[in-house]
Amino acid sequence: MTETVAPPQPKVVEPGQPQKGWAGQNVPRKEDKRLVQGEGVFFDDIKRHEMGYVHFVRSPYAHARIKSVDVSKALDVPGVYGTLTGDEVAILTDPFFELSVPPGAHMKDYALAVGKARFAGEPVAAVVASSRELARDASELVEVEYEPLEPLVDARVAQEGDAPILHDEAGSNVVWDGTFDWGDYDAAAAEADHVVKIKELHFDRFSSTPLECSGCLIEYNKGTGQWTMYCNHQMPGVGAIWMAPALRVGLDKLRFVTQDIGGAFGNKICLHPYFVACCLLARKLNRAVQWTEWRTDQHTANAHGNERWFQDIEVPVKADGTMLGFKVRATDDCGAFPRYEPLGCIIWAQVTPGCYRWRNIRVDFTQVTTNKSPVSPNRGYSRMQHLWLTERIIDIVASELGLDPVEVRKRNYVKHDEFPYETPNGCIYDSGDYARCLDIALELIDYPSIEQKRRDAESRGRLLGVGIGSTLDSGTNNFGQSMILNPDLQFSGNNEVATVKLDIFGEIVVTLGTVPQGQGHETTASQVVADILGCSPDDINVRPGHDSYWNSHAGFSGTYASQFAVTGLGAVKGAADMLAGEMKKLASVVLGCSADDIELAEGQARMKANPEAALPFMALGAILNANNAGLPEDLGVTLNCRYVYRPPFEKPDLERKYGNLTLTYATQIHAAVVEVDPDTGVYEIVDYAAVDDCGKRIHPQIVEGQVHGATAQALGAATHETFPYDADGNLLTPNFYDYHVPHALDMPPMKNGFIESESPFTPLGAKGMGEGGGAGIHAICAALQDALRARGKPVVTDSCNPYHRVWALLQEPEASRAGVEVVSR
Amino acid sequence: MKVEGEREFKAPRATVWQVLNDPSQMAKTMPGVESFDVHDDRHWTANVKIPLGLGGLRMSVSMEKTDEREPEFAKMAIKGNGVGAVMNMETSFHLSEAGDATQMKWQADVHLLGPVASMGQRVLQPIVNQQVTHVLNSLDKQVQDAASA
Repeated sequence: MTETVAPPQPKVVEPGQPQKGWAGQNVPRKEDKRLVQGEGVFFDDIKRHEMGYVHFVRSPYAHARIKSVDVSKALDVPGVYGTLTGDEVAILTDPFFELSVPPGAHMKDYALAVGKARFAGEPVAAVVASSRELARDASELVEVEYEPLEPLVDARVAQEGDAPILHDEAGSNVVWDGTFDWGDYDAAAAEADHVVKIKELHFDRFSSTPLECSGCLIEYNKGTGQWTMYCNHQMPGVGAIWMAPALRVGLDKLRFVTQDIGGAFGNKICLHPYFVACCLLARKLNRAVQWTEWRTDQHTANAHGNERWFQDIEVPVKADGTMLGFKVRATDDCGAFPRYEPLGCIIWAQVTPGCYRWRNIRVDFTQVTTNKSPVSPNRGYSRMQHLWLTERIIDIVASELGLDPVEVRKRNYVKHDEFPYETPNGCIYDSGDYARCLDIALELIDYPSIEQKRRDAESRGRLLGVGIGSTLDSGTNNFGQSMILNPDLQFSGNNEVATVKLDIFGEIVVTLGTVPQGQGHETTASQVVADILGCSPDDINVRPGHDSYWNSHAGFSGTYASQFAVTGLGAVKGAADMLAGEMKKLASVVLGCSADDIELAEGQARMKANPEAALPFMALGAILNANNAGLPEDLGVTLNCRYVYRPPFEKPDLERKYGNLTLTYATQIHAAVVEVDPDTGVYEIVDYAAVDDCGKRIHPQIVEGQVHGATAQALGAATHETFPYDADGNLLTPNFYDYHVPHALDMPPMKNGFIESESPFTPLGAKGMGEGGGAGIHAICAALQDALRARGKPVVTDSCNPYHRVWALLQEPEASRAGVEVVSR
Repeated sequence: MKVEGEREFKAPRATVWQVLNDPSQMAKTMPGVESFDVHDDRHWTANVKIPLGLGGLRMSVSMEKTDEREPEFAKMAIKGNGVGAVMNMETSFHLSEAGDATQMKWQADVHLLGPVASMGQRVLQPIVNQQVTHVLNSLDKQVQDAASA
């Protein structure tokens, strides 16, 4: 069941925009017809004459020295076109660029394992053959001699003296470490009436699992030295920055092409090792090659979300429940190679105090490598882990001090009249009303009836609990935050680009720099353009997908970090505004009036005072493109407009680790009700509400779809989805047999509510909102803790709580309680 | 994965020792042996097909006896390579006299790597238990045959 709660008075921070029109309506999605009819084009649909299929030979060892690789038997198989080994890669390429300062900067990462394998599933060699199956069979004939080494699978011991070292060149497993200290934690602790101490919390390793695995078809143009990659890379701008130097070529030698992508979630950002291997093979064999990832390989060796340990947490609290901040020691496990890391060591700081008015925060943050799959940004990247911590703090403190978790939240939330709100580390929360969102969520689950429902459940032998998750989806990165980690990096700000043109027959054509993966960019871009040009979204042709050769793109182009509604549509709006100006100017010349006298409406440029004097768009396109003799020389109209949207950012203060790290903050307040069988630990989510505030919604149905998807992701992460490793470094959930992603029947009855607090900082008042699933993880943790309260008051210390973990909490509640202590004056 | 157990054989310790240290007799106890080669008294190799999944898992296995104290103790290191699996195992047994019978305490520390290992103990443990039972029953038969001979 879905309910939409329309707030009686939507809160508008900057009144006056956007105008009424297509934006805000649920127009039919442009993408859906081809997708539901099976006519989408994914990279694997693209074939080339005599192409080869790539299969990677992967290390069965989590940690081993590679003594030799012998491909001769595989090469003897008829139909095998060629192979690639780590030794070749070491000669033909340079290690990928590392973002960290030392020791992480010294870690060497190649397209294939060179000298050492550092996680089970790491590609060691590649075989290309005439069919995918033959390549797979032939890869079994590649003989690799390993010298097994002791694996490191626990990040907490990575810095101990006898811990195995993964990267000998770095001499340490530490990628990056540093202290973040804002406000005055010590003074806050001295001022507090209570200090709640929590020994350890653990955010489990998991990942989103796209329907479409990763892959590419790569062809090499020998004449131009250019590779064309038909692929599903979701961030080509950054992918090219990694790949081109490694391949020792310029960026223009790498052409990324996408059309439809079956989900990405961040785990298609770090595909560069695979793509470089395929580039080398395409060049070596002078043949197009295609790599389509197997599902097991997607689980074992693509990219996981960051696993994080929070230790020695201390929370100073006043007697009335006001929290003054917290301190924590965080250890982040990034797997075998840093790749996109150490950015996760700063991304969390976008939401340092969570939804709360905490002013005194100290975080000792360390990121280490382990013999597990490398991580990459995963929907909610790094903030999800940190916000889970802030929410756990709220509920554990409330429980230990006997406070009402609803009241504690409302007491500590940033208040709606405090926006724009500056956090202790200089981030500007743009707009919102957290308490109001919470009220709506509680209303949706009929919170006043909870105690009666609890008694009803007890009469049936069940334990009922209710939990809240309050999170923020920070969107539109200021890449200057990377300089806080490494001052030598030359990244700051952000940008996105779009072009809008009017063609000869009056077609309006939009190209995007973004790389859509199901978010409906074609639809929402057409709504924005239609509003500006005074026509219907049906008249707008948005080119599907991305082609870095033809689409205009900027350095940060891509689809990631909750930003399309701001950067993508900001660029679209800018380009459409430019085109509208040019169309008016051209029409004014033809009609002999001032451009100010022209309006665009109903597919025409016409005189405001005399709508009969009108030029259809087709006429404008034809005049400029095909019948332009006699037009003024200085007309300055091309009807082909490119706009780069650049958000208003400053470089952060590196010494204080202080500055505005993202532009927008969408709100998610979720509430969950669970029922637990105390004999088995099996539980069911019996009621669920998700309230979202992402400012102006361009297409409410798409927003609601994102909320549903993100909630499913969160519920999976909270209940079943986890990537555990055994002591030898084997992943124990390598496919969907063991890794259960929620399907429709697993989803609870879901109720949605929305308010719109428009952002004062964005062109359309909209905010990015695709990554707001973290609230669900915490809502389940809190609900379980509430349900088990009567059974020894156990403390939920892990983000993922499968039934066996709940059963363990029921059996030994004191074990979890041993990690919590309250020191009162 | 660590597995261990005890088994009593109704035969003298010397007989049990002889069977356990005779590669050709041991080959008969192993499931799915397709070939077995003895290189010397401490090194054997075998090709085996373990009944796993629809097609079975073929492994090339090399065995090395790393320690022995006749007639009570022996230890072996076993390495196996197959499609999607690498196995490293250390196994040992202690024989002690129990009246007319012989008591064997055995243990094995099995490290499985690769996609097969990733299937998890939930799947592998029953298979391992099944294979161990098969080996021990076959061994019992070999011992009885040797004793009656």
